[in-house]
Parts: sequence; C-alpha cells; structure tokens
Amino acid sequence: MTTKRKQPEKALQLYRDDKAYMQMLMDGLSLDESEEAEINKGVIKAVLDKYDEVLDCAENDKPFITSWFAYAAEFFTAMGVPWFMFPQTAFLGIEAPHVTDDIDGAERLLGSDFCTVLRLSLYYVEAEMSPTPSACIALLHPCDGTVMIHQAIKLGKWRDVPMFGADPPYWEDERSYEYYARELRRMVDFVTEHTGYTLDIDRLREVCEESNKEYALWQEYNELRRVVPCPHDWTIGPPQCFAMATFYYPGKPGGAEWFKTLIANAEKRVKAGVSGVLGGEKIRMLWFDILPLMWQFDIQPWLEQEWGVSIVMNMFGFTPYEPIDTKNEDTMFRDLSKRSLTEYPMIRQARGVADHFLSDIERIVKDYKIDCVVWPAHMGHKDGSANTGMMREKCRELGVPYLHLGVDIFDKRYTSVDEVKDMFSKFFSSTGLGQK
Amino acid sequence: MGAWKGENELETTVKSKALQQFQEATETIVNPELKKWIEQGGKVVGYFCSYGPEEIITAAGMVPIRIRATGSTGTELADAYLSSINCSFCRHAFNMGLQGDYDFLEGLVWLNNCDHVRRIYDNWIRKVDTPFTQMMSLPKMTTDVQVEWFRDELKILKEALEKHLGITISDEKLWKAIKLHNQTRRLLRQLYELRKKDNPPITGAEALAVVVASTAMPREQFNDMLKELLEELSDAEGITDYRARLMIVAGILDDPAFIKVIEEQGGLVVTDSMCFGTRILWTDVNEGASDPLTALARYYIQDKPACPRMFDTQPQRSKFVRDMVKEFKVDGVIGERMIFCDLWTGENFMLGGDLKEEGIPFLKLDREYIMAGAGQLRTRAQAFLESMGR
Repeated sequence: MTTKRKQPEKALQLYRDDKAYMQMLMDGLSLDESEEAEINKGVIKAVLDKYDEVLDCAENDKPFITSWFAYAAEFFTAMGVPWFMFPQTAFLGIEAPHVTDDIDGAERLLGSDFCTVLRLSLYYVEAEMSPTPSACIALLHPCDGTVMIHQAIKLGKWRDVPMFGADPPYWEDERSYEYYARELRRMVDFVTEHTGYTLDIDRLREVCEESNKEYALWQEYNELRRVVPCPHDWTIGPPQCFAMATFYYPGKPGGAEWFKTLIANAEKRVKAGVSGVLGGEKIRMLWFDILPLMWQFDIQPWLEQEWGVSIVMNMFGFTPYEPIDTKNEDTMFRDLSKRSLTEYPMIRQARGVADHFLSDIERIVKDYKIDCVVWPAHMGHKDGSANTGMMREKCRELGVPYLHLGVDIFDKRYTSVDEVKDMFSKFFSSTGLGQK
Repeated sequence: MGAWKGENELETTVKSKALQQFQEATETIVNPELKKWIEQGGKVVGYFCSYGPEEIITAAGMVPIRIRATGSTGTELADAYLSSINCSFCRHAFNMGLQGDYDFLEGLVWLNNCDHVRRIYDNWIRKVDTPFTQMMSLPKMTTDVQVEWFRDELKILKEALEKHLGITISDEKLWKAIKLHNQTRRLLRQLYELRKKDNPPITGAEALAVVVASTAMPREQFNDMLKELLEELSDAEGITDYRARLMIVAGILDDPAFIKVIEEQGGLVVTDSMCFGTRILWTDVNEGASDPLTALARYYIQDKPACPRMFDTQPQRSKFVRDMVKEFKVDGVIGERMIFCDLWTGENFMLGGDLKEEGIPFLKLDREYIMAGAGQLRTRAQAFLESMGR
C-alpha cells in the first residue's frame, strides 16, 4: 500500500538534520567505552532507528502514522505499522538552534499561554516541518490543549490526513475501561483502513508478553533507584526508561535487553555504593512533571554540582504499570485500555480526578526516601497547577518541603535559567536542605 | 441606521420592570426570586458549564443555577490552592466557595468540561462543605456511542439525587422539567428573533442579562417574566442609532458590562455563540422521544450547539457562526476568551481563519473574569468598528 502523499522537503530535511545531530552524539559517545555510555548508545540507536523508519516511509511512499505514547503502542508494534510520536519534532529538536524562532512562529498562531510543545507541534505542521503521515491518531486527553491542537491541524496543511480520536472517559472503573477498549478497537480498524496493516491477536499476545517483560524490568530498575545513594546521575534513568518502553521499543525485541543492561549497571553501582551524583548525593528530589528538557544542560548538572541533588524520580519515570493479561483478545484490550487511561504519565494524573497527584507523591516520597518535591508548573499544565495547594498540603503532611516553580519546559525565556537557579537556591537554603 | 453621535447612546426605549429584574439578577448570585424560593424552604443546586443537565435538578424539585462569580472582588483564598495560570473565573468562583458565598447550595454538579473547572471539583470537595456534589464524565465526541455513555451519566446523577434527597424522580417529573426548560428556550429564542430586526428593540447587554437570569432563578417565574418582557418589546421602538451589528463568540461571559462597553462605541451586539447565549437555547430537547434520559443525552451531546471541547464538531461550530452572521445580518464578529483558556484560544484561531476566508471582520479579545481594562476594550472596539468603515 502506498500513501501517494507529497512530503514537504523542508520536513524531510529537518528530519535528516535532526538525525545527523543524533548521529553526532552517537559518534561522540562511541569514544566512551563505559557501561553507562553503552546504555545511552542504546537509546540513541533507538532514536536513529525511528528516524530511519519515518524517513524510509516518507521518502518511499510507504504508509506510516503519527500517534501518542498514551495509545498503547503495543498495538502498532503488533500491526507492524511505522509511527512517530506527534510532538516528536518539538521534543527532540528542543536544543536545536532554530527552536526559539519556531516558538515565535507558534506564538503567531496560538498566542503565548497555550502549551508550547503543542503550539510547536501545530507550527511544525503548518510550516511544513513535519512529515505528512498517512493517518493521524489524535489524543483527546489529558488537557484541553491536545483536543484543540488536533482540531486545528485538521483544518490546515493536514486537511486531507485522516484523523481518529478515541473518546476518553473521566472515570477509572470497569465501565470506563470497557468503553475505552471499544474505542481502541475502533482505532485499530481505523489504522487498518488507512494503512493496510492488520492486527493479528496472536501477534498482539507476543508483543504484550514482551512488553510485560520490559515493564517488569523497568520496575526492577526503579527498585534500585530507591537505594541511597541513587546509582545514576541525571544522564541515565527515568526519561530513557519511559521512552524505550512506551515509544521506541514497546513490545519489540531489544527493549528487554536494554533494560537488563541498565539494571546490571545499576546493580553493580549499588553494590559498590557508588553515587550517581559526583561529590555525593545530599538531596533526593522528586521532580513531579516532565523534566526541564529545554534547559536540561543548564539546570540538572548545576543541581548536582552545586547542591548535590539527585532527581531520584520524576512523573515519567514512575511505574504504576500492571502487566497485560494475555489470556485472550478481550483481556488484552481491557488491560491496554486501563493502561491508556490510568497508567501512562500525565494521562494518569491529569485526565481524571486529582487523587493520583497526591497518592503518587505520597508513594514516591515514602518509597524513594525523597527529601523534597518540585512541581515545575509548566505553563501548559493548567490542571496540574490547580492542584498546587493540594500538593503542598500533602507534602506538609509527609514532612517534605514543596517547591512550585512556574516555568515553560520548552522555553527558557519564560522563566530564565538564572531565575530558576535562584528559586532553587533560596528553597534549599530556607528549608535547611542545603545544610545536609 | 442614523449617524453615530457618540457614547452611551444604545439602550432600549422600553421601561420594563421585568428587564430591570433580569438586570438585577445578573448583579448578584442570590437574586430576589431565588431568595424567595430559599426562604420558602426550596433547595438550590448549582452547576458549572452549559452542559449541566438542569432538567434533572428541576425534576428533583430543586432550582438549578449556573455558577458565576458575580460580585467577587478578589481571589486571595483560592490563590492558596490554584495558580496564576488558572483562569480567573475559576479562581473567583472557588474563592466565593471558600468564603461561604455558596453555602446556600444543597448541591453542586460539575462536568469535566475544561482543565480549570474540573480541578475546582477536586479542590471544592476537599475544602467546601456542600451537602451533595457530583462530577459527570462528559464525552469529547458526539456519536451515538457517546449519547449512550452520557445517558448513563445522567442516570447516575438522577440516582444520586434520589438517594441524597430520599425521593423518586419519575419519568413524568423528567418530562415535566424538560417541557419547562424547553419553554424557557423557546421564549429566549423569541427574544433573539426580535434582535434580527433592522432596529432591534433590545441591546446585546440587555439580552445577555435576560439569558443570565434564565440560569439564576426559578424557571416558572423566569418564564412568566420573560413573557411580560416579550410583550413589552413586541411593539417597542427599535434601536436605530448604531454603527454596526456585531456577534460575540465566547465561553463564559456573564457580565453585561463587557458588552455595554462595546455597545457604547456604537457596535450593537445582535447575536452570539456563547454559553450564556445561543449554546443553551438554540435547540430543544426532543419531547417526542420515548425515554427522557435518552432525549436529554441526545440534546446535550448531539443537538445543542457544541462547545469547542467536542472534538468532532468544529465544522458545525464554524457553520453555526457563519449562519448566525447571515441570519442576524452581522457586520463583524468578536471572539472573546478568558486568559489561559486553551479551548477558546484554539477556537478563535480556527474560527478566525474560517471568517477571513468569507471576508467577515473578526476581532480577538482576551479578558479576565472581572471587568477590568474597560479603556483598552473601548479602544479595541473603536478600532474594530473603524476598520470595518463604520
């Protein structure tokens, strides 16, 4: 099946450029033969493979789709359909020199208080900087922004790209899981209709079994992060685990192997009592949101070096996942539905009742011996920011200091690096954490 | 249309007691009619959002009122729980809840209509002691599957109210309530019909006051008062001295003062697509259906003009606005949104594009819930009218 879609050359070039940047990182890492470097090489290889997959489809007129991590990518693995995550360009290009110009371009479309990653995603479509897929799976939760961005995309350059959205219920109960399972069945039919790829249930079972192994290994790795000191620094851990399990290797061979390598290294470090933070871990932090991607090189190394902070856990690294019951088709759809509604990060916390914000904080603080909780308050996360009082009270109850920052995770200009550092310094000083 | 002579010119020529009562109802939460109801032992249930199924509350023998933050002057209490990127309506409304302004409510119903309001639910149930609270899961799509889902949600609400009050809400009571609310809608549409005239007998600010009042007092009284007003307006002298006919497209806009500022510049607001406007009155619940809950579910999910949060409805929403422009002979459209509202940011972006294609002037306006920056609004409205050559 061919797509007969004309691909914007600018998009393909951007993908080639981004891939070249990743290749450069890989080449740099190849000089490092440490186990830690091997772990990161595995992730970069997955990124490069994804670029290759999308470029191959786009350049050779093969069907491919765009979707989101929250749609149980096990389905796509089982169907064999190539896909990329809709905001991938925005996420992976976050350190690219053109990104501030892109944000300005996005502002001309949707103003300045709409989530920047979503604004950017629309901009990349409208500026023809994103490859045109055969079909688009729209995400209708956890926030208003996702619902609106997909409607807007439907009107512009992707007017002719078929789009599907699964209706997410608010509740967490059997009625909701069954309802959403039916929505996921519709999604599979939609993908088949527009790409020709079909779902074989035995193949889905194999994929889910493989995926179960990955999630179990991820959980095992997280057990090791509970140890004091945390075995890995900011360059290894939760973000990579999340990306590998939900996006790059969901149920694919190679995923479990990567996790095993990660665990082996962490175990070795734990046994040797090696701290991820050079100079010693002084403050164990829960960063309860997406990590500060735009300024990760500014903030995270500084936190480690200046204050001995280990970001032991973040929202995306937390693992509330339950294994998928592979007994039959219905159990798999039901469990993947439940995962899609209540386990993936951000969806779990932000879609329905606010309780997960509080119960997750409590569980992580207790399990991971957390010293402080940071709510970055990304400007797009309005529902989460409406929980700030509840989170503060929960932290008081647990006896851990709570910091509400107020940043744009994708734009340093919103709150500058210096301002963020200043907020952290005052926080650590005033709470006494800096004296540890 | 006469030449524009300056500010403060637009108002109805009718000196109506009913209109005055409606206007008073927009200036407070507990208006005299509602106060009378409460003093007589009647119960009141609030709801957020135009999808609030007020018919079920009426069928339970209570008065449904749409939650507003009218009269709020600050958000000091709410700001301890919410943040500066939450919309000011929510901050003011929750603040009023915290300071006890809504203590008279027997119950409160939410839907997960937007990121801000659904979090008010989480905060409210922890911090405000309202006897009955209920969240409803509102679908984001509008097929028959979602009608069926929402019917179940309505049934859950009905049963929860029955349990709370120790009553039975029969189909007969539901149909009676549906008929009552349909009558409100029909009467309001009659008011809108009058606004189609070349010389409408009522301003946009006055019409907004009427619609707001329709969500704020016992419906029987409201309907009687509106009949009285319609009678008075039927042969009233219309407004002639305006520069242009405008339409407002917005979410929650419950303050006539906002429209008054625009109308003071000569832009007569003749219609809208708003939550306190056509979105709650343009269609009726089907009284011929066999099951009242299904009829209500179909009305809310499929029949009423949709909110931008309903994913698969943008073409209909856009068409609705364009049809209204034709029907009401609108010269220009103002898209208003509350700052930090992603739903209306997206909607105005899309609608602006559609209207541009058809050559319909469109102005985007941001605002806070409390009427502030009237000077800036005045300037923007003036410039908009001038850009239309008016």
